Amino acid sequence: MNLTLKKHEESAINEFDQVVVGNSLTKDAWRRLKKNKMAVIGMIVVIVYSLLAAFAMFLPIYPYDQIILDHRHLPPTLTKNAGTLMMEARLKDLYFKAWKGGSLIVTEQQSAKIKTWIAANETNKVWDFCIKEGERQKQAGTFTFSAADQRTIDRLQEKIDTEFLIDVDKMFYTDGETHKKHNLAKMDWEEIMVIYADLLGVEAAIIEEQVQEEVRTQVLNNYKASTPDLSDAEYAANLDLELQTLGEKGIASIAKTNLLGKIKTSITRSAERELKKEISEGTASFPIDRSIKINEFLDAEITATKKHDRRYYLGTDYSGRDMLSRIIYGGQVSIAIGLIGSLTSVLIGIILGAIAGYVGGKVDFILMRIVDIMYGLPYMLLVIIFMAIFGRNIMNLFVALAMVSWLTVARMVRGQIMSLKNSEYVEAARSMGASTGRIIFRHMVPNSLSVIIVYSTLRVPAFIMQESFLSFLGLGVQAPFASWGSLVGDAINGMTLYPWKLIFPAIAMTIFLFAMNFFGDGLRDAFDPQSKNQL
Amino acid sequence: MTKYIINRLLGIIPTLLIIITLSFFIVRIAPGGPFATERNMPEVIKRNIEAKYHLDEPLLKQYGRYMFDVLRGDLGPSFKYKDYDVNYLIFTSLPKSIVLGLWAMAIALTFGMSAGIIAAVKQNSWIDYLSMGVAVIGISIPLFVIAPVLQLFFAMKHKWLPTSGWYTTGEGWKSVILPAVSLSFAYFADIARLTRSSMLETLRSDYIRTAKAKGMKSSTIIFKHAMKGAMLPVVSYLGPAFAGIITGSIVVEQIFRVPGLGKFFVQSSFNRDYTLIVGVVIVYSVILIIMNFIVDLIYAQLDPRITYK
Repeated sequence: MNLTLKKHEESAINEFDQVVVGNSLTKDAWRRLKKNKMAVIGMIVVIVYSLLAAFAMFLPIYPYDQIILDHRHLPPTLTKNAGTLMMEARLKDLYFKAWKGGSLIVTEQQSAKIKTWIAANETNKVWDFCIKEGERQKQAGTFTFSAADQRTIDRLQEKIDTEFLIDVDKMFYTDGETHKKHNLAKMDWEEIMVIYADLLGVEAAIIEEQVQEEVRTQVLNNYKASTPDLSDAEYAANLDLELQTLGEKGIASIAKTNLLGKIKTSITRSAERELKKEISEGTASFPIDRSIKINEFLDAEITATKKHDRRYYLGTDYSGRDMLSRIIYGGQVSIAIGLIGSLTSVLIGIILGAIAGYVGGKVDFILMRIVDIMYGLPYMLLVIIFMAIFGRNIMNLFVALAMVSWLTVARMVRGQIMSLKNSEYVEAARSMGASTGRIIFRHMVPNSLSVIIVYSTLRVPAFIMQESFLSFLGLGVQAPFASWGSLVGDAINGMTLYPWKLIFPAIAMTIFLFAMNFFGDGLRDAFDPQSKNQL
Repeated sequence: MTKYIINRLLGIIPTLLIIITLSFFIVRIAPGGPFATERNMPEVIKRNIEAKYHLDEPLLKQYGRYMFDVLRGDLGPSFKYKDYDVNYLIFTSLPKSIVLGLWAMAIALTFGMSAGIIAAVKQNSWIDYLSMGVAVIGISIPLFVIAPVLQLFFAMKHKWLPTSGWYTTGEGWKSVILPAVSLSFAYFADIARLTRSSMLETLRSDYIRTAKAKGMKSSTIIFKHAMKGAMLPVVSYLGPAFAGIITGSIVVEQIFRVPGLGKFFVQSSFNRDYTLIVGVVIVYSVILIIMNFIVDLIYAQLDPRITYK
């Protein structure tokens, strides 16, 4: 043996004089994970999705809850803007009516074809044919719209050309004495109230009364939405309680939002007047980004864009909301619920499982009996009842799902703890006088953490599926919020006419679940190579 | 064995008691009630209705009364479907759900096991990759996505199968295919993966090698020797699979408009139809418990190492 060899901290020499580098479990697992191509792809996809969801508010997409009724049910497109699509939809309708009225003349065969399509409920084919044939005949000069139809078209065209949307980005208040500019959004609600009263030219007290009444109504409505089916007397009784829990700060913030909204509306209105004048003079060129003065102490920065110049790459839903941004924000909700939900259930499972495994005896017996009985229950049914009866909000969703999903973790941790209980280092810790809690949570739980992490990765897709399942039934996330499940659920009605509403959220969700499953499987194989090929 | 069966049957009683109690109190401690949404109801009428259904009594008395009724097999009158008993509603709709569930289970088992066995025997061939690819899709696509997509493609686009309905609506057995296939997809996937992995393990074991060395036909080895061992994980998976099929049938029945029990369940939860909710939960739980029991018995039959006492 070579005695001059120093023992290096990280490397050692084996009997063949080769350097052996010590390897931690995580390092080893990472090396194995990197070899698994599908798992790496899955990991990348999961990361991309999470980044998109986390930074959704910074993405250049339309607001997910902005309702534009003119833009209902627009199909997905890469090239056309909303105005073109609106015109197309109108033309399809008009050409179809012209065919029905007999002014659009087609051959007998074509007519028969249209009739079979109508009988088979193939509305899209009929429309596509009508617009194609109609445009061809119009080009050739054999067909002209009736005067009334032409007027409808012209009116729509004018609407498309002139309508615009105004966003008020910032509002400023200039102090009359110091001539300092204040951002309205950063002022107290009392100050804003005075400004608003000034703007309207009424007493501040009247406004204050009005605002307080509005806050009450709003709180009541929120409460009604979250807990339906109460009598009016019960609502009235609960209102004061709700207001108390909100506290002065909460009420002030609601009042402030309301007041700012009101000032915004009146600024929007005067900006609208100004822009309309410019359009009729022909001096406006969109998009507009400028600051306008309302009166001597109030001015605002606004941006105005043409309303029908918007492009919806993935189409719109039944109230004209952009599907792309709804899918992204829906992903935010789904992924957040998946992550936080599995974390919560894993935490509950660790605590209960660790206690059952370490303490043993009666505690273990009772806890495991509960787990056994809950395993035998159709627990999703209980979750459905719970959601239907206690109100459909995200908080209840968490509680309901976390309540029933800690079972497997608890069993697993219990097994791990029981096998570690008699190991030497636990005995050493005990002999040094470490408390039970310290032994469990500082020594034993970290030692079984890799198993737990792997399992919780596999839990995330299951959690997302359960949340989506509830949202699909109308028991989960409520509009204007969205989750993948509620998007699919909304799309079920009318899916032959508007298949994109079903297809895109379904694809987005499936890809994520795919990736998550591959990633989870890869992680499990990496941490525990012996389990390879097991389900 | 008989003793074990009796013990298990006795063990069902506390589980059922817990289920009934839990669902009874969950629906009743929540604010609101079955008649709270009916506006402008005079106080007297409301009180009379509540008295009719004994809703004016203290909760524990109601609980006792309900338990007594359940023991006699009477699940009470429905609050929202007036003039109907819960018993009647359940017994008219339950057979459809059971038929649907059994079809789904049969499809999942037949195709899942065959795919798993073929994939294991011909490991790393194209058929292995194909069936495992389909299985991964089955695990990743939620039921409420696969069902409308199948409906869109097979029923609405190509009109090969009816979009919705049941035997009674004239389309006969054809109307069962789509709901049963969509319901079975996830379980097909799980069963195929399970069968494949346990089959692979069994095929590598010593007794299979011995059988091969004796010169047995490979079909005999697979079906007579390996199958029995490879079935064990599949059988133990059947319990959770039944639970999943029960909840899944709620969605499927909604999408394909099957007049089964699942439809009643969601509606009654929204309506606070107390007796109907608890009744449906009891029925589902009994089915689930019985299924789990049967699965355990089959498991014991298959695996001689397990003796129940």
